[in-house]
Amino acid sequence: MLNTNRREWMLGAAALFGSSLVAPLARAAEAAGTQAGFTASRVLLTEEQRALVAAIAERIIPTTDTPGAIAAGVPAFIEMMMADWYEPTDRNEFLAGLGVLDGYARVRYARPLPGLNPEAQDAVLTLAMENAVPGLARTFFEHCRQMVILGYYSSEIGCKQERIYLPVPGRYDGAYPYAEVRRVFSS
Amino acid sequence: MATYDFDAIVIGSGVSGGWAAKELTEKGMKVLMLERGRMVEHQTDYTTESLGPWELPYRGTLPPAEVERDYPMAKWGGAANTAQTHFYSNDRLNPFDYQGSKPYRWVRPNQVGGKSLIWGRVSLRWSKMDFEANARDGHGSPWPISYDEIAPWYSYVEKYAGIAGSKEGLPQLPDGEFQPPHPLNIAEIWTKERLEKAMPGRKLISTRTANMTEDKPEQGRTRCQSRSQCARGCSFGAYFSTQAVTLPAARATNNLTLLSDQVVTSLEYDPVTKRVTGVRAIDTNTMQAKVHRSRIVFLCASTNASVQILLNSRLPGSERSFADSSGTLGRYMMDHAFRTYVWGSVPQGELDPYIAYGRRPNGVYIPRFRNINGQDADADFVRGYGMQGAASRNTAAPVGFGKSMKEGLRGYGPWTLRFTTFAECLPYRDNTLTLHPGKVDRFGVPLGVFNVTFRSNEMKLLRDSAIEGQKMLRAAGLVNVGSSSETHVPGDAIHEMGGACMGADPTKSVVNRWSQAHDAPNLFITDGAQMASTSCVNPSMTFMALTARAADYAVKQVKANAI
Repeated sequence: MLNTNRREWMLGAAALFGSSLVAPLARAAEAAGTQAGFTASRVLLTEEQRALVAAIAERIIPTTDTPGAIAAGVPAFIEMMMADWYEPTDRNEFLAGLGVLDGYARVRYARPLPGLNPEAQDAVLTLAMENAVPGLARTFFEHCRQMVILGYYSSEIGCKQERIYLPVPGRYDGAYPYAEVRRVFSS
Repeated sequence: MATYDFDAIVIGSGVSGGWAAKELTEKGMKVLMLERGRMVEHQTDYTTESLGPWELPYRGTLPPAEVERDYPMAKWGGAANTAQTHFYSNDRLNPFDYQGSKPYRWVRPNQVGGKSLIWGRVSLRWSKMDFEANARDGHGSPWPISYDEIAPWYSYVEKYAGIAGSKEGLPQLPDGEFQPPHPLNIAEIWTKERLEKAMPGRKLISTRTANMTEDKPEQGRTRCQSRSQCARGCSFGAYFSTQAVTLPAARATNNLTLLSDQVVTSLEYDPVTKRVTGVRAIDTNTMQAKVHRSRIVFLCASTNASVQILLNSRLPGSERSFADSSGTLGRYMMDHAFRTYVWGSVPQGELDPYIAYGRRPNGVYIPRFRNINGQDADADFVRGYGMQGAASRNTAAPVGFGKSMKEGLRGYGPWTLRFTTFAECLPYRDNTLTLHPGKVDRFGVPLGVFNVTFRSNEMKLLRDSAIEGQKMLRAAGLVNVGSSSETHVPGDAIHEMGGACMGADPTKSVVNRWSQAHDAPNLFITDGAQMASTSCVNPSMTFMALTARAADYAVKQVKANAI
């Protein structure tokens, strides 16, 4: 699949540098697919866990003037990483943490976390961040936050809509006014 | 009269092998180039080039278990990055060994082009004092060549490769044939002005790099586009690599035969004529061995691999290599000492409104300032170090979560300069690479066994760089200045050198002033193995210059029927 930005820059590159450059780069653009490292090799999460991961991810990076974590595919990214990247110890810690957090929501609000309104979800996550959820590993919140940040800002939406994607800057300016963009450039 | 398949065989296709092939073919020689790794063609085989993070497996980081299984060495060169993994050798399939508690890291590429596709591209000349160092302080064997002899060859390779840099007039870092330098960013300029005023003699300059700032249309190459994806291969041909520069030149002569997937195991040698008579290689696809014959041989397999091949090329009925009449083959193994860091931030204020647009392929360099005019009174070490770094602004650290965190992550942290030391490593006779007495690899070659350690001079250099580095950053007015060190394992800098050192005395060195083996005049060893010391600057330009010079000499010798 050829994305718009790349097509644009390749057309630009063709004009600037001759068409010989374009074919190999176009082939490179087709590499992404369903192979290892893109989608989970097995079903790891239950439907309940999946809903929980989605709810947490979306509260950590919500939809604002740009899309949030769910639109950016962060929950599926986390499931892939948990299934295929993490060591069993870390994976089990993460799954255990999900259970503890959901259990807390059920006791406190008599509903699973994904069923709560955003304010209540934020209240539970704030307690998790402050290490005030009984039985929850102290590292759990930070671990979640890092996974969501990694997944979001490395996603196509994160790179292109939340950040400004510059695949071929063409030049370096080491004194560029931040006020021109008020965003972070992604590569 | 002997018959040959080729005039010359070049073993290896990296920085040195590429230059050997270019120079020899352009001078009319029929050349066979043998490369251990797989074929990688310019542009078409840069399979991860221009992919976004979401198009890379695991968003760019190989699972740790896979890294530890297959790339425990290569990870130190960047193999854990899934945009680059395919350019590294699988360590599980290519084992080596080291002496007991003396770990060594050997980072190997796995393709035509060798490390020229994945190198850091820092392009510096050695100085007069570097070539004189061994003679002056008595370590290793004295260099039989001077800076003035090599200078024209530096110019020759720089002009063709395309090196960007500023002329500085520093005796310890001679100027070359430069394209305009890559620019400093605003924080580097800020620091440079204050540092050079506060501490006269200390310099902060744009790192001289093999990323072009001007096009070379005659070579089909375009200047750097500030993508900073160099290690994936560059279809613009903006940086020096075999694929972009030397291989097209060699192919254009129609004198080159290039065979990939060929592991050279040993050289055949005739003790009567004192000549290398054949190059034995195993095809990694068929596992069939074949002996290739040529009039001369250029050994450019990389420092460690070249030494290993020579060690495995034994005289008939002997345990000893034909190239080791001096007893120094596999001795004086070296690598730059590093993994000492210093950093500091520009105070909040005037530079906060600025960020960087684009991703520069280089950074800034603090050239050697120690022991330049003889021995510094306060230095309890010989020789010196340089420091490589850059100023950058990280994305702001996340605070809390939700909308406010997301908005916060649209901002930047302070401008921060970070430097890494590269310190000269002395040549030690007992830092060795030998062959394992029992274990062989899948090609039947005895494993290399490293016995290499850094000593007190290297440790003192690193310690001094931490002290002086912090002093410089504070003097420049940076805040939150700090330093840290990690254990540096030899090999880690991937600047390995030595093992078949150059020297005038055939009883104390392996190659002569022309990179020509004392024991076999038709064998030239022109990669890092020939280096008799390391300087503190990055070595690739010197490999290029010495290789081009050796090729010129070799062809003249062939034409004169002297070899």
